[in-house]
Amino acid sequence: MSDKSTSRLRLLFGTLNPLGMPLRQKIGLLGLAFLIAIPLLVSLPVVGQFVVLIMPASSWELGLYNVAAALFFAMFAMSWDAVSGYTGEISFGHGLFFAVGGYTSAMLNMGHGLSPWVSILGGVLLAAVAGVLIGVPALRIEGPYLSLVTLVAPLILLQLFIYMSDIFGGEQGLGNPDNLVGLGFVSNYFLALGLFLAVFVLLWALTRSNTGAILTAIREDEDAVSAAGLSTAKFKIFAFVLSGAIGGLAGAAYVHTPVGSPTPSELMSVIINVEVIIAAVLGGMGTIVGAALGGLFVAMVPDYLNLIEFTVPVIGKSISEMSFFLFAIVTLVLLNIFPGGVLRWGIALGRRATGRTGGEEGMAADGGQSPDEGGTDPVEQTIERYQEYYDNMFGGDDE
Amino acid sequence: MTILVQAAMISALYALIAIGFTLIFGVGGVLNLAHGATITMGAFSAYYAGQLGLGIPAAVLASVAIPALFAGALYLGMVKRLEDEPIMVMITTLVVSVVIEQAIMVFEGTTSRSLPRLIEGQFSIAGATFQNLLGVMFVVSWLIIGLLFLFVNYTKTGKGILAVSMSHKGASLVGIRSSRINLITWIIAGAFAGIAGLFLGSWLTASYAMGQAQLVLSFSIVVVGGIGSIRGSVVGAYLIGFLEIATTNLISASLQGLAPLAVLVVVLLVKPEGLFGREFAE
Repeated sequence: MSDKSTSRLRLLFGTLNPLGMPLRQKIGLLGLAFLIAIPLLVSLPVVGQFVVLIMPASSWELGLYNVAAALFFAMFAMSWDAVSGYTGEISFGHGLFFAVGGYTSAMLNMGHGLSPWVSILGGVLLAAVAGVLIGVPALRIEGPYLSLVTLVAPLILLQLFIYMSDIFGGEQGLGNPDNLVGLGFVSNYFLALGLFLAVFVLLWALTRSNTGAILTAIREDEDAVSAAGLSTAKFKIFAFVLSGAIGGLAGAAYVHTPVGSPTPSELMSVIINVEVIIAAVLGGMGTIVGAALGGLFVAMVPDYLNLIEFTVPVIGKSISEMSFFLFAIVTLVLLNIFPGGVLRWGIALGRRATGRTGGEEGMAADGGQSPDEGGTDPVEQTIERYQEYYDNMFGGDDE
Repeated sequence: MTILVQAAMISALYALIAIGFTLIFGVGGVLNLAHGATITMGAFSAYYAGQLGLGIPAAVLASVAIPALFAGALYLGMVKRLEDEPIMVMITTLVVSVVIEQAIMVFEGTTSRSLPRLIEGQFSIAGATFQNLLGVMFVVSWLIIGLLFLFVNYTKTGKGILAVSMSHKGASLVGIRSSRINLITWIIAGAFAGIAGLFLGSWLTASYAMGQAQLVLSFSIVVVGGIGSIRGSVVGAYLIGFLEIATTNLISASLQGLAPLAVLVVVLLVKPEGLFGREFAE
């Protein structure tokens, strides 16, 4: 091993050393450790009681199922963020990829008797192909028009599923494919957590790499990227394929656990498409971390609300009946307060509280795109990008 | 023949559904994804008026006024400060529509409700009979389209709307307050959506999720016709209406809803600016 590679290794370990990390990453690691430890903690005397109490279900076993479902949802949100948060091409129909992954895998498993491990691979491949199918038109049409295409694509698929319901099971879905790891609460939880971590690490590393920088640059100024001699088409398609494959992976694995099944309402309904966007935007677009947190939040809040047995007096409805309604209101309020995402706000707040700016802290978790660096906020860039399309469309008011 | 008459009447409804959507996009430059929910709101306003025993005129009034007020409030409360951020408008209006749908679901459940019939009876053309309701729908739709044309082309406010849709800056240079024009547009669009919801609910039934299909339909029509063009929306509505009736009648009834989507994708890929849309400026 040469000197150079040793020093690179040391640098790598240095970065991975928890003590040297900025505060928010320590908090993140703690949260992660907690997620991993949940199944162990419940058997402890006092701590266990507490953990059972904060699980989003009436018992901790069911709580694990709900958290597992939330982890899958967070994977969906991260896959959305990888393409829309980074390249600024807003997709309104990411359910397409989840559905392609989930249905392909379920059909390979149920119809052709393939083991789930193999059929999931098939689902991922087909979802990647779907990524190409969406990505290629995305090169030609831009801005709001692309949003329209992505909004419509899963609807067409849904219509097809209903039209050919003898093959796809219509609105009822496909029943229950084999489970990857049986019905165990803990094993399924760790399956979800493991996948979540793998997806997270992959996307996190990728978006912090040179590729991530190019994707961000595409969001910021596509012409500049092509002027630098890079093929924006190649990177855009790459982003769509990557996002599609990961969405497909999450969808495929999801149907092979007891928490999910291949039905249109779970994989491709309008609500799912909307929830994914809400999750990523709420958490902080273009950060991956934000999408992961937003995903967990969006998926678990209704679970928690379901637990509340309180009946609102005047209208005579219980909280659990209205859980999704209340959640939508909460989302609306949060969107109005933190348009840049809760994560960015949290980071900025944390910085102010610790009184530290610059230095190590300056190396933001979002790859140096934190809001205080002005003008590089992904939301702003995306907005600017869209503004440009609109200006073009309306004859250009600028100048 | 039956198919043609049927298609003409359905298309009239589609035109009503799409015009409000295209107005907001053409003038304000934002996509109002709560448009479908506004239509649902119109239908349920009429339903509640009927439940209260207020009679048909009151039901009609409610189904126009409540969505119009709601659209105005939505613009003033949320959209106005996000006006320069189309993407946030899209997301916010999307969430608003989810809130409305969920509210209706919580209070009314998922079953469909039938609205008071506006007009009973039937009429016949060329040996086929149709509901009077559909005939009235056709007439009202053209009446509204005609009035809108007159309003836009011959009144001061209408000309202001045109000016703002052409150029925000130019309009403000000659002293037109674009936020006021936008407010008017949103209110008009809300009222149109309410009327569309009234007819749709009266003809079929009203349910909490009825707006979703209408939103997608508006999208398809508006894109086919050209975003921001009223004339284009009317033509697009008829194109898609005829196509849908033709496919469901001649090929298979289960294809309902697929035709507009297929047309939409083809148009987006071949001619993204639509039939009457403004060209992308160089």
